Amino acid sequence: MSTLEVKNLHVEIEDKEILKGVNLKMATGEVHAIMGPNGTGKSTLSEAIMGNPAYKATEGEVLLNGVNILELPVDERARAGLFLAMQYPSEIPGITNAEFLRAAINARRPEDNQIPIREFLKKLDKMMTTLDMTEEMSDRYLNEGFSGGEKKRNEILQLMMIEPKFAILDEIDSGLDIDALKVVSRGVNEMLKNAEFGTLMITHYQRLLNYIVPDVVHVMMDGRVVKTGGAELAEKLEAEGYAGLRDELGLDVVLTDENV
Amino acid sequence: MSDLKVLEQSVIDFSNLKKEPGWFQKLRKAAFTKMTMLELPSFEKIRYQRWPIIPKQTLLESRKVELDQKRAVGNTVVQVGSRTLSLKLTNELKQKNVIICDWETALIEHSDLIQKYFMTKAVKWDADRLTAAHLAQLTSGLFIYVPRNVELDEPITSYLTQDARDGQDYVHHVLIVAAENSRFSYLENRDTLGNETTTANIIVEVIAEQNSHVKFAGVDQLGETTTAYINRRGYLLDNAKIDWSIGLLNDGNIIGDFDSDLIGAGAHADVKVVAISTGNQIQGIDTRVTNYGKHSIGQILQHGVILSRSTLTFNGIGHIIKGAKGANAQQESRVLMLSTKARGDANPILLIDENDVQAGHAASVGRVNQEQLYYLMSRGLHKEGAERLVIRGFLGPVLTAIPAADVRERLIETIEGKLINGQKFEKVSR
Repeated sequence: MSTLEVKNLHVEIEDKEILKGVNLKMATGEVHAIMGPNGTGKSTLSEAIMGNPAYKATEGEVLLNGVNILELPVDERARAGLFLAMQYPSEIPGITNAEFLRAAINARRPEDNQIPIREFLKKLDKMMTTLDMTEEMSDRYLNEGFSGGEKKRNEILQLMMIEPKFAILDEIDSGLDIDALKVVSRGVNEMLKNAEFGTLMITHYQRLLNYIVPDVVHVMMDGRVVKTGGAELAEKLEAEGYAGLRDELGLDVVLTDENV
Repeated sequence: MSDLKVLEQSVIDFSNLKKEPGWFQKLRKAAFTKMTMLELPSFEKIRYQRWPIIPKQTLLESRKVELDQKRAVGNTVVQVGSRTLSLKLTNELKQKNVIICDWETALIEHSDLIQKYFMTKAVKWDADRLTAAHLAQLTSGLFIYVPRNVELDEPITSYLTQDARDGQDYVHHVLIVAAENSRFSYLENRDTLGNETTTANIIVEVIAEQNSHVKFAGVDQLGETTTAYINRRGYLLDNAKIDWSIGLLNDGNIIGDFDSDLIGAGAHADVKVVAISTGNQIQGIDTRVTNYGKHSIGQILQHGVILSRSTLTFNGIGHIIKGAKGANAQQESRVLMLSTKARGDANPILLIDENDVQAGHAASVGRVNQEQLYYLMSRGLHKEGAERLVIRGFLGPVLTAIPAADVRERLIETIEGKLINGQKFEKVSR
């Protein structure tokens, strides 16, 4: 079992403090969801855990199996077992999807034990079938000209091929129709059959949680986790909205999209 | 005797030795007389005038050398220095009456064709000091003639090695004539043998007659001690098309002058250039398309990477001549800098003398896209490897246009090697 723990994390972007002391703890085998209104720092949290250099941690720790990883560059964090399915994946022309995936897998293996091409293709084929992806998508350039839905699927394909310990899924449900959402969820649930995998899902909507059922739900407001509970918390939010929870907790927070 | 007199005598001796036709020797003499009165060509923002760019040595046959058997397969020409080591015509070429021969043979057996096309259309011999010196001091070359209506399935491949074992000047000419309605691919691989300091003067002319279509791929890997002038020029008649894909992976100082003259209506030149500059080298690339014909189309795409302390300059020139109604001139030049000590330049130049046309340009000098780099690294790729992938993607448009898979692979390997070296330099100098 592996653990991922965020302790009193403060993060700035361009000198503006976005995270103001986030705490959360999870282990492999668990599904956590982070919900919260727009502009509360959910994406910032995911980028800061992954190690995007644009996000500066000013205080606190991110511990992977008890070791602080905040000083590590993004690639080392990835090889240590973290994965971030991004909201807006980059497009990289000239490099095929398959070529990229193989490079990503091989970056985790010693020089003298690279994945045999046959084994790689077999695995790729299997994962693409799970995700209803056509064969030609592996020969297309990485995300280039992919539709929004194709990009999300491709993020999950990478997740399944790389098999990290912890995957953060940043709004993997945005821009997906119900059918695509089901396919993407199928991929994540397939991964969850493995006890050595845990996921932290960031979402606005309870809908995703019908397909990938969380063990723990965290609610973020104004750069902090303000409430943690079980799956029922998400349902309650769906019914009462974020403003209801804020008022119940007596928080002095202005929600970005309030009264809009 | 003065040096010039010695040189002139060696030109005449060489011409006699090769039994060149009278008209050619006469032309050589004229070029010799005129060359010292001509100026070196000038290119925007490229200063090379002090380089050892003018060939000065007496004309000699290269020393003998063994043939590399791996190169002599298929429709292939292998030349090292002035010597032709292998020249095979497959049955397809023979049946279709395609002419491929070395310069010496071409002058004797196809004198009329050479006289008609050589340095009269694409490159004029008296254009400047370098073109005149080229004609006067030419020692070897290649002639390819693809007759009317001939389509070739297999590309014609040449391996043209500059001989730097003895410090001899290398003056080499390739003349390709695509007769009406012909269609074929040509792949030219250039490299260097030996490491003495040398001067190379290379001119390649492609005459594309009506409705012909030539796919020209050139991979240049001249050595570190070679200073070269490489001029490749197309001359396109009505509805002819040339697709140029040129990879400049040289290690020495280079002037690349790549021009296409769209003479005929509907002529179309698509020029793709990739370049990598490393070490202390300077590469200046001047790519021009001139639209003379109505509805002619010129497209230039140049992508380059600079490492270490090197310099890379891309000029992109789109020139539309008055009367070329409906012409289109587009260009894009981009330089990626991997080093803080390197110098890059991308100059778009549009010269438009006609109103009824379309033209566009894009140019940039920048660093590796940080978002792309972050994305790749977030999947566990090491920074250097991720950087190389982004760069390869950036050079992709030309790499994918190389017709032979094995050449493409070798090219990618060479690029990898250059990038790895450049990255080492960055680490050390940081």
